[in-house]
Amino acid sequence: MIAKEPLNVKRVGAGRIPLAPIRKWLLIGTALGFLGVFILIPLLVVFTEALKKGIELYFAALKDVDALAAIKLTLMTAAIVVPLNAIFGVIAAWAIAKFEFKGKNILITLIDIPFAVSPVIAGLVFVLLFGSQGVFGPFLETNNIKIIFSIPGIVLATIFVTFPFVVRELIPMMQEQGSEEEEAAITLGASGWQMFFRVTLPNMKWGLLYGLILCNARAMGEFGAVSVVSGHIRGLTNTVPLHVEILYNEYHFSAAFAVASLLALLALVTLVLKSLVEWKTRKNG
Amino acid sequence: MVIQSKRRRVLPGFGLSMGYTLIYLSFIVLIPIAVLFVKASTISFSEFWEIVTDKRVMDSYKLTFYTSFLAAVVNAIFGTLIAWVLVRYHFYGKRFVDALVDLPFALPTAVAGIALTAIYAPNGWIGQYFEEFGIKIAYTQIGIMIALTFIGFPFVVRSVQPVLQDLDRQYEEAAATLGASSSQIFFKIILPSIIPSVLTGFALAFARALGEYGSVVFIAGNMPMKTEIVPLLIITKLEQYDYSGAAVIAAVMLVISFLLLFLINFWQWRTARKHQVS
Amino acid sequence: MGIKIRNVTKAFGTYTAIQDINLQIQKGDFVALLGPSGSGKTTLLRLIAGLENLDAGKIFFNGIDYTAKTVKERKVGFVFQHYALFKHMTIFENVAFGLKVKPRKIRPTKKEIKEKVMELLKFVQLEHLADRYPAQLSGGQRQRIALARALAVEPEVLLLDEPFGALDAKVRQELRRWLREIHQKLNITTIFVTHDQEEALEMADTVVIMNHGKIEQIGSPEEVYEKPANAFVYSFLGKVNEFKGESLVTNFPHVKGTEEAVGYIRPHEIVLHQQSNENSIPAVVIHINKAGSTVRFELKRLDTDELFEVEMTSDHYKKQGPFHKGEILYAEFKNIVLFDRKTNSIQTEKNVQGEVVSAISSYMS
Repeated sequence: MIAKEPLNVKRVGAGRIPLAPIRKWLLIGTALGFLGVFILIPLLVVFTEALKKGIELYFAALKDVDALAAIKLTLMTAAIVVPLNAIFGVIAAWAIAKFEFKGKNILITLIDIPFAVSPVIAGLVFVLLFGSQGVFGPFLETNNIKIIFSIPGIVLATIFVTFPFVVRELIPMMQEQGSEEEEAAITLGASGWQMFFRVTLPNMKWGLLYGLILCNARAMGEFGAVSVVSGHIRGLTNTVPLHVEILYNEYHFSAAFAVASLLALLALVTLVLKSLVEWKTRKNG
Repeated sequence: MVIQSKRRRVLPGFGLSMGYTLIYLSFIVLIPIAVLFVKASTISFSEFWEIVTDKRVMDSYKLTFYTSFLAAVVNAIFGTLIAWVLVRYHFYGKRFVDALVDLPFALPTAVAGIALTAIYAPNGWIGQYFEEFGIKIAYTQIGIMIALTFIGFPFVVRSVQPVLQDLDRQYEEAAATLGASSSQIFFKIILPSIIPSVLTGFALAFARALGEYGSVVFIAGNMPMKTEIVPLLIITKLEQYDYSGAAVIAAVMLVISFLLLFLINFWQWRTARKHQVS
Repeated sequence: MGIKIRNVTKAFGTYTAIQDINLQIQKGDFVALLGPSGSGKTTLLRLIAGLENLDAGKIFFNGIDYTAKTVKERKVGFVFQHYALFKHMTIFENVAFGLKVKPRKIRPTKKEIKEKVMELLKFVQLEHLADRYPAQLSGGQRQRIALARALAVEPEVLLLDEPFGALDAKVRQELRRWLREIHQKLNITTIFVTHDQEEALEMADTVVIMNHGKIEQIGSPEEVYEKPANAFVYSFLGKVNEFKGESLVTNFPHVKGTEEAVGYIRPHEIVLHQQSNENSIPAVVIHINKAGSTVRFELKRLDTDELFEVEMTSDHYKKQGPFHKGEILYAEFKNIVLFDRKTNSIQTEKNVQGEVVSAISSYMS
């Protein structure tokens, strides 16, 4: 096409016609190359390394007593943390999105704090509070209550790092929806709870689900904060990510990647669910 | 009577929900953070200064800022490019790619850490080719930067993408009818409108990188004064039962993070206001 | 239900939306709250419903102080500007909502609810849409469902916020007639908010004209149109030409205006002649629009270069015309009304001969 073009004929924007597709594919190529190196290869590495020594060893690593204990602890932590933060998210979003009050922006910024705090520091603050040298250390010791290097500490640190996930999804969504439907429910004679359960909750369900998915992924995958408070006691205070670390540091690479592949699967499931919810809300909105 | 009705709000539950919000927020976030600052302030200023200016601590701060900043710069460039490709071009599998961008948000950092180490170690998938030329990636500052780039780039993509999507094509068409070339259109029309979102994404990626731990510890090598990041140093101090040392290093880090958070919020508030006026 | 509003004030922060308002609404009345945006009309409606809390004053329903009553206790029917239909419920469920949330003791049975809802849907002629969701309905249909939903709880007052604001012109016409019919059938006190003066004058029995949080005038459509209490009402209800200052004082010798006055005249009250007479002012035709039953002219006064509009019926134009663009005509300003610029109230009314006449009677000529 281009070669057949007589050289002395000048067309308007002649240079742009052959250039645009080249540039397009160059940009797409660069973007995909970057994503390939930074996303696809790490994912592939996890699964190939996990299966390197055969499928039997893979499942053996997962069925190991310590691995099972870690899985149980991670599931239990998420089962406590996610509902707590979801309830907080719904209640806080109601107060912030539906009412006008002074200091609202300050409150939102305060809620955001855990996003700006390093996970390690999140763990540290609970050690300073409940550790043996911490503020409540002596008190806890005399009453024989263990928080740090124990499950309550893991739960607390996980609550902290996943604190804003649900509420940050709900606030903008509820602000956009406004209060007209709630007002309509009240003028029709609904009580506060009737209004909440029949109108508000159904309207926030997709945003809530979205927040739950993100909150759960972080709760199950949290490493830094939990690492500081857990004490790494095998079979007792090891979550799945901590178990991966221990296996890795002990040079059980295949086993480490086998357990890690569970978390990678969790991440993939999270992405799929997230996309589904996004697709669903786009369709409804 | 009048005063009473003034305080009443039409929708129910304000007092209850606000009370619960403040209590939960205080117990989970505010009080623990306050305790950190209290702990850091129990020591004298000279002790504080000694801890912060200790060579190992200073090197660790420098390393963390340096690598976080460079990673955020790389992310600003590639994140914008990916956002551009996702918004402006259509190609097979685009939605799949779009969903995959969030993987660093969803993948537990420890998994990312061991995977990146396996790739960039001297005998790793990619590391071995660099090893031939005597270039080490894992266990060096380059390795740290790669981990920080991995966890940071979705911030830029997700900041820029919606802005690009909302960008009215009419401005570009208007510029084209006025005779602007495509590079002129990009630098004079498109870039000025997306630069605030690029900077927001940059700041978010930077802030995240400063505090990142899980994905870095495996690939960093953790050599004091060379590849020891601040979060790791805090853990080391804790393991030595040096609580005040850990608290001081953390408090300095937190103040910087809060300033960044404040800056981001202020920036967003200012651009939102600018757009309202125009 | 009769409603009395006494010295009611409402502010949002530093902005006063409603300023010391007094209003009495009779049982069964059909009232339009009319005003430009920001005049406080929607706030007043929401105050009546209890959706806003007032800062001062009292509201009485049938003589009983309802100021401190909650929204629920007031039992009003409220139709929201954007309908506020529950997105996740079917049309049937939307209309049934008010019945289903009643306390168990007084809640109708399932069968009764079903009958009542179907009856209401039939009433608004949408029974075939019972199983649809709000998103599947047109704007006009949503509006009717919103009304059916409000009526389901048998309110004694019906409040509508800009009921036709979001609809296109044809549907709006239809629904206006329909709402009037419904009011006649049910005879419940109805108050609606609108910024469309035509809508208010056409539908309501009583028009309340509001501006800057205050009531400018209350009266029947005829009263407010024919006897506007002040300059604002005059200019808000229909098209108007405004003259003030120099051009009013020196160039309308017959009007005896002062510097403090502002003169208004409606386009159809200006008479055009092809020959000059003692009271006419020469003007050049800028534009003629002959579409429709009224012919509209835009003219420019030769003395002051001011633009003004004139209207006449097309029959009249056929007798007098044709006029052409650029032609010089002589305009007679028959019924210019003067308002005091400071107080906005009527100053004097004078006709061509300088005699004081009742402006009201001559407007209609």
